[in-house]
Amino acid sequence: MRRTLAQSLALYATVIFTLVMILFPVYWLLVTALSTTDELYRLPPTFWPDNPQWDVFARVWAAKPILLWLWNSMLAAVGSVALSMLVSVSAGYALSRYSMRGGATMGLFVLTAKMLPATLLVIPLFSIFSSFGLIGSLWTLVLAHSTMIIPFATWMLKGYFDTIPKELEQAAMVDGCSPIGAMVRVVLPIATPGLAATALYAFVLSWADYAYARTFLVNSPDNWTANLGITTMQGEYVTYWNDIAAASVFIALPIIAIYLFLERYLVGGLTAGAEK
Amino acid sequence: MTDTVQAGRRKFFDLARPSRQHLLGYILIAPAVLMVAAIIVWPLILAIDLSFQQVKIPRLGGASRPFSLSNYVWLFSSQEFWLACWVTVKLVVVVTAGSVAVGLSTALLVNNRFEGRTVARLGMALPWAVPEIIAVVIFAWMFDTSFGLFGWLAIKLGSTDQMIPWVSSSTAAFWAVAITMVWKGFPFVSIMCLAGLQSIPSDYYAAAKVDGANTFQRFRWITMPLLMPVLGVTLVLTLLWVFRDFSIIKVLTGGGPLRSTQTLSIMTYDQAFQYHNFGRAAAVGVLTLVICIIASVLMLGRRSKSIY
Repeated sequence: MRRTLAQSLALYATVIFTLVMILFPVYWLLVTALSTTDELYRLPPTFWPDNPQWDVFARVWAAKPILLWLWNSMLAAVGSVALSMLVSVSAGYALSRYSMRGGATMGLFVLTAKMLPATLLVIPLFSIFSSFGLIGSLWTLVLAHSTMIIPFATWMLKGYFDTIPKELEQAAMVDGCSPIGAMVRVVLPIATPGLAATALYAFVLSWADYAYARTFLVNSPDNWTANLGITTMQGEYVTYWNDIAAASVFIALPIIAIYLFLERYLVGGLTAGAEK
Repeated sequence: MTDTVQAGRRKFFDLARPSRQHLLGYILIAPAVLMVAAIIVWPLILAIDLSFQQVKIPRLGGASRPFSLSNYVWLFSSQEFWLACWVTVKLVVVVTAGSVAVGLSTALLVNNRFEGRTVARLGMALPWAVPEIIAVVIFAWMFDTSFGLFGWLAIKLGSTDQMIPWVSSSTAAFWAVAITMVWKGFPFVSIMCLAGLQSIPSDYYAAAKVDGANTFQRFRWITMPLLMPVLGVTLVLTLLWVFRDFSIIKVLTGGGPLRSTQTLSIMTYDQAFQYHNFGRAAAVGVLTLVICIIASVLMLGRRSKSIY
């Protein structure tokens, strides 16, 4: 379709205007971090600081255990993703390849699990974890995040396995491969992009959690995750917005980087169920 | 003789045999079923059980209280619960409508062919990658009562002559939460709609053009009907997200002022971990789950399969 010059200009103008509106809050986070306290508490607001305070990042890094928070978030995410993928891969494969009694029930269950409010599940999990003496430990997050990840990961992986023709395994088995061998050596390598997409999406889910971390870990500062840590920087009387903004940049950066470089996989995971 | 027995035994464990195929399926699915039973089903049953007991702080293995409907009776007769329902409905409608409006229009915009659209697509959906808590940090500062950008903008645009009390005014707090949630929620709609738009064959548009359909007619009679299934699922997923969201509201307003932003989710959490009424909290949570299920079944009907 050919566009006239005027149409092209209008299109570009709309795109740029929309982008500026959408990305402005992210820009504002950066400006806030780089402004001096004087500039922050002044109207009209400063849209770009006269003298950007780049050392705010080093200062916050030194003043707050940001590396520890990020490390804890990372441990919880890697733990829950590993645990969930371990059981979801084989379950997704089974649901895709074998017609089993209860397969449809399983689907209905996944649906319900997706609707389960974290604020409801956190109540019984709290009593269970306290009776096992787990409150304050990162293991609570590994298990709690798995409740979010396993149902969706199983279904997403089933969808990926469905796209791989059965004939591949049958050929492998004719050549003397066992069913498990066919799954591990033939299907899983082909499904790698799907596995990566699922794992990445699960990682983002875990990283974003706040409800579980707040409930289980609030009294153990050594195990605070990034999201929990940052909310404790909001003071009751005085809030140093430039410090919080700088810390936020550190915490948002890993996910934004994943998004920018691996967007294709992430979006593939998001929309997997939509086009059916 | 021994040979045949051994051959027979080997056959018994031979999972490749068609009659053993089902067995292998069950073995592969067992770990997931066990995990789900332990960390989702069992806790859920405990929660439902808890909602029928008059209990403050439950101890696992402690004597269970007698069956009682008192939590539900309290709920249905308390103003707080009905207010929370009303707030939830308002928020769900406003945020879902806002997210779909912004998400669909941005998707249509970047579905055009133009130089640099890959970058534009990445940029449009970037808020999706910003963790909720960080989004709250940004918006909490922009909605700051004394020096926030939005208050200043409102004065500049002449809609008010003094800073807006975002924290202490019920209406202002509600809109602060809604705007934050739309910013965080629309990229998902945008991503899904874009995927839907891309799957519409361009021949359809070409054919419609030959028949003399204008841009609006093409949108009305080709894009909308073909996008509907994706849009429906997306709508329900967004709705469920608003229904269950905890972190944005909790950190931005804490449910206040005067419970004006307290949704059912926030009420569930606060009843348990602020007022230590675990029984009541479980009752609110169970009702929230029931409402979620009814709402999505009603909206999707027989299409509900596509949600997973």
